[in-house]
Amino acid sequence: MLDKLTDPALVRRWGGEIPVRHRYTPGLAGEAFFTALRDRGVLLGSRCEACEYIYVPCRLFCERCFAELTADTEVGPGGTLESFAIGYVDVEGEPLDEPVTVGLVMPDGADAVLFHFIVEQGEEPLEIGMRVEVVLRPPGERTASILDIVGFQPAAG
Amino acid sequence: MTGKRVAVVGAGMTRFVRRAQETGKELAWEAARAALDSCELTLGDVDAVCLGTAPDAFDGVHMKGEYLSDGCGALGKPFIRTYVGGGSGVFVGIQGWYSVASGMFDVALVVAEEKMSSCQPHPQGAFLTIFDNVLERPLEPNLLWIFALEMNRYMHAYGLDKRDIAAVAVKNKRNAADHPAALLGQADITVEDVLASETLAWPVQRLDVSPISDGAVAVVLASEDVAAKITDQPVWIQGVGWNLDTAYWTNRDLVYPEYVENAARMAYAMAGVTEPRKQIHVAEPYDPFDYKELHHLEGLQLFDRGKAPEASRDGVLNRDGDLPSCPSGGLLGVGNPIAAAGLMKIAELFWQLRGEAGARQVPGTPERGVAQAWGDLMQVGTVVVMGTEPPDGVGGAPPRGGRSAPSARSARLRAPAPADPASLPVIQTPPLAAGGRPLSEAGFRSAVGAVEHAVDARYAWDTGVAISTYLRGLQSGRILARECDECERVLVPPRMFCERCFRPTDRWTDVSQTGTVQTFSICHVSWDMHPLDMPELPAVIAIDGTDGGLLHKLGRISPDDVEVGLAVEAVWKPGAERTGSILDIAYFRPRGEP
Ligand SMILES: [Zn+2]
Repeated sequence: MLDKLTDPALVRRWGGEIPVRHRYTPGLAGEAFFTALRDRGVLLGSRCEACEYIYVPCRLFCERCFAELTADTEVGPGGTLESFAIGYVDVEGEPLDEPVTVGLVMPDGADAVLFHFIVEQGEEPLEIGMRVEVVLRPPGERTASILDIVGFQPAAG
Repeated sequence: MTGKRVAVVGAGMTRFVRRAQETGKELAWEAARAALDSCELTLGDVDAVCLGTAPDAFDGVHMKGEYLSDGCGALGKPFIRTYVGGGSGVFVGIQGWYSVASGMFDVALVVAEEKMSSCQPHPQGAFLTIFDNVLERPLEPNLLWIFALEMNRYMHAYGLDKRDIAAVAVKNKRNAADHPAALLGQADITVEDVLASETLAWPVQRLDVSPISDGAVAVVLASEDVAAKITDQPVWIQGVGWNLDTAYWTNRDLVYPEYVENAARMAYAMAGVTEPRKQIHVAEPYDPFDYKELHHLEGLQLFDRGKAPEASRDGVLNRDGDLPSCPSGGLLGVGNPIAAAGLMKIAELFWQLRGEAGARQVPGTPERGVAQAWGDLMQVGTVVVMGTEPPDGVGGAPPRGGRSAPSARSARLRAPAPADPASLPVIQTPPLAAGGRPLSEAGFRSAVGAVEHAVDARYAWDTGVAISTYLRGLQSGRILARECDECERVLVPPRMFCERCFRPTDRWTDVSQTGTVQTFSICHVSWDMHPLDMPELPAVIAIDGTDGGLLHKLGRISPDDVEVGLAVEAVWKPGAERTGSILDIAYFRPRGEP
């Protein structure tokens, strides 16, 4: 049968990496979404008439029926917290200085959820189903990025 | 063969561009929708979806199959991604074929996509991982090396003239001038232009190479039961074949693609093709490099070994020649978004065999064509034979138990087949999606919302039993091989099992440090495409007394003096500097020189 190496020191490992980085363009629908977010501070979705479904972020096509869609529907800024989780460690497994809360928010008028941070929670504990609203960076600081949204916070009142 | 006959009934594609504004999903959807529109089907008519797409590292999306699934129309449907590197585009057609031929599905949507522009600074960074991480990557290879080495070997074996090879690039770029989706169509290009283009890795020059591209293609496959309801001009898949050569590319016959022959023989047997040169009327062989088209035409049994270049020179391969080859313009002219380029060849045969190829239409009434792609570690052949007549020897009762539940069929498929085929639409213009919107480099850099990420991962590859020992041998100034008693081969690089006999190899043996140059290149660019001050001389060296060869570099010789067959010997680093690496051999130099 196969020869065996009995001395682990003889097992060589060879280090390396894949020397690439990637530049992702957001596509036709993504450009419309990020432009509206940066310039008008709104969450833009797409409505499929046939499926009676509103996607957010907006999309070029309906994945259910393949119809071409346009970025025709503003959703939010309020929404419903559909789920949340609290992270205590970073990607390497090291403890975070401050826990980070992430959530799934269904903006008003949409049938899809956005994944983002939940911020400025105040005293009340988070609950699934609670009302939240989007928190945006000031207009001058927006860069057409998903981070133009700071996160969602529990809605006032 | 039993099973259902399978026809191509629709096809569509985006433009092929250097940098697309669309995401990969959006490109896939554009092509898929164009294909469905071309045969007036809806997504509800589709029973199963097949995707072909090449390495995740190009798009920079892991699990690219699921990422692209919505653009392929796969939501809520049986979906499979197939992947055999550059061979994926034709192979996904084969995947679609057996999804339908099995009787499991009546209609399969087959999609191929690639978005290579995402990969920065150059897709070469991803191609690096094609090479062996331990034995070849330390040499900092450029992917061009493999092609240059194979091309030189091919030219040497038959004494070929580079002009006859360059004529392929000219033909394809001229053909592509008539393709509305083409990236590099050029009606007035000449052989002189190709021969005058920058030498990248001799003998490979800039215009011998297909371009990095973004794009998507889709075709619709239907079983014999429903094809007649969809179109009166189905194009039948008459035969399919695929085959793989050894993973040790330096141990392979670089002169002749045996794996293509094996795949072609499989497909021809199924199709009842006994005299390919007479029975095939139009060919779409894989042409990422001009010589590859010729190489593949020989593997496809359309020309004798070493004779395809003559055919190229004599115009036999031209669109109006006796055997039109790549009338689409191929990868060299239309572009090379890897998997999409392969499926484009199946789409082109569909259009050619229906007489719908417009300005690209080959003369006469072609009845049968062959499409082929090649990939993995330059070792896979994938072949599809298509024709206007349904294949013999196929058909009969298919298994019905595994069939998916009927989906929301459009009226088209619910209705009985029309008695009058003339009532069916005939689409005269190859459908071209609006997609593939080109971005300039500046537009790409400034695109709203674009983001950059690097994969933050490092790897530690275990060298394994055989290669650990091989590396320790190199450290002590010896080249070690493994012997297989059954096939009597002496294997370099060594492995603990013989991939041919599929049994353990028998013993280590200390082999010679001399060898002969099987093939070489004179490479003027680094692995990431930067110009080199001094050209490098990568070579495949057959080690004397073995059945193997290895990739290394030549030294102490002028590029002008290197030739295939040159006797060489290893030059070792000083013992103290050796680390147990392929680089412990500094280079190979002409034997017996001072
Ligand atoms: Zn819809």
